[in-house]
Amino acid sequence: MNEQWLSVFPERIRSLLLKLPPLMLSGLEEVRIREERPLEINTGGQFYFLKEDGGVTVHPEQGVRTGREESHRLLDLITNHSVYTMEEELRKGFITLPGGHRMGLSGRAVLSRGKVEHIRDISGFNLRIAREVKGASVPVLPYLLDNRGKNLLHTLIVAPPQQGKTTLLRDLARAVSSGQFGTGREGWPGLKVAIIDERSEIAGCRRGVPSFDVGPRTDIMDGCPKAEGIMMMIRSMSPDIIVVDEIGRQEDAEALRQALHAGVRVIATAHGAGDAKPLSPLLEGILGGKLFQRFVTLRRSEQGFAFKVYDEDYKPLLQH
Amino acid sequence: MIKLLGAAMVILAGTLAGWIQARRFAVRPQEIRRLILSLQRLDTEIGYGFIPLPEALRRIGAQSREPLNRLYNEAAEAMEAPRNWTAQDSLHYALQENWKFTSMKAQEREVLHQLAFTLGTSDRANQKTHIQSAVKALEAEEAQALEEQARYEKMCRSLGLLIGAFIVILIY
Repeated sequence: MNEQWLSVFPERIRSLLLKLPPLMLSGLEEVRIREERPLEINTGGQFYFLKEDGGVTVHPEQGVRTGREESHRLLDLITNHSVYTMEEELRKGFITLPGGHRMGLSGRAVLSRGKVEHIRDISGFNLRIAREVKGASVPVLPYLLDNRGKNLLHTLIVAPPQQGKTTLLRDLARAVSSGQFGTGREGWPGLKVAIIDERSEIAGCRRGVPSFDVGPRTDIMDGCPKAEGIMMMIRSMSPDIIVVDEIGRQEDAEALRQALHAGVRVIATAHGAGDAKPLSPLLEGILGGKLFQRFVTLRRSEQGFAFKVYDEDYKPLLQH
Repeated sequence: MIKLLGAAMVILAGTLAGWIQARRFAVRPQEIRRLILSLQRLDTEIGYGFIPLPEALRRIGAQSREPLNRLYNEAAEAMEAPRNWTAQDSLHYALQENWKFTSMKAQEREVLHQLAFTLGTSDRANQKTHIQSAVKALEAEEAQALEEQARYEKMCRSLGLLIGAFIVILIY
């Protein structure tokens, strides 16, 4: 198991986390550090505060508090002692760590001409631990195949936050890129995949190299605005499939339309309630017309994912 | 005969002591100058190169001569695994361990000590200001060191010889 992220924490916090029962440790999703307040963890969908003796509690007053010194130390460690190399990250409010994990930051914003320039007095940290689930896309894949073009259909994955959209998206990219999809015993040959990874979540790139397995034929435009990135990739990398995370703005839809006209398949995710109707009225307004051929809604369950697949007229194809 | 030999040795010792003292006055401004140059290089590495602090310190260490390179390398090493100390702790430790190898004085050490509190903890513009103000402070020290050199270097040299001679006269 990959617990590399532990090394970013100062000694005391690390030893507290290591005292957790193994099941809790392996199920960790978030570690939240707020200066002068109790240390919080989020494991298996439940939140707890850590106690001095290594136990957990739901009562904040019993939790271990972290101080200014520890915030300093943590910031120093996650920036490799060089906050000045992370100006762009500080503008966005998160830092991608080795292994694709993300450290969200909060503090006091410093403005320049009305825009956030960076954050200082950083006192809140939220480590979101990224977990790669290879094979997460296996049950969904058969419903997304385009048998004529030996490709995938235009697909939109819709779900609320923290339900596994990005995990599914990442595994779809890997499967298609490495040729582990399609019908027949041999499957179909791998395709050129282009990921536009605005928030460095899909591939978890460090210095341009992905931390996750996203397949051998995959190109990644890291930290790039989606609409621009889609156009750049179409022009420069001749992809068969474009993969983007969290579309939702007018210009994203415009770029998607361009991609569709260029004959490139699109797999995207969007936020949504994920119940009766896959698309929220807001998204429907933006996407206008029939852009996508398949919709997948996700919900996290005991066994992993529970998902539904709909066709272009929102008719359900599968309930799992 | 033995008396003469003894007298010669006393004079020699006095001269040598004077020379060593004089050399200290001569070396201090040189070392301050090199320290200033290395800080300016650090400024470039941070401001234009976006080089992370440990690597920047290593690079500067490689370009510097004794005794500055020890200082930079020691700090860089403390920041990296397995020690993983903060930038501030690493620099303070390196200063404490290596300052005795330099001919510089407490004022210069204080400038670096202060700089260590901010190095690596803010954005580029801020880093630049702090490094520049450290350079300014060092330049003031350099001017003073040069003045002291002009005033005392020759004096120490002749004084050593004279004291040697004086002792010889007294005991002869």
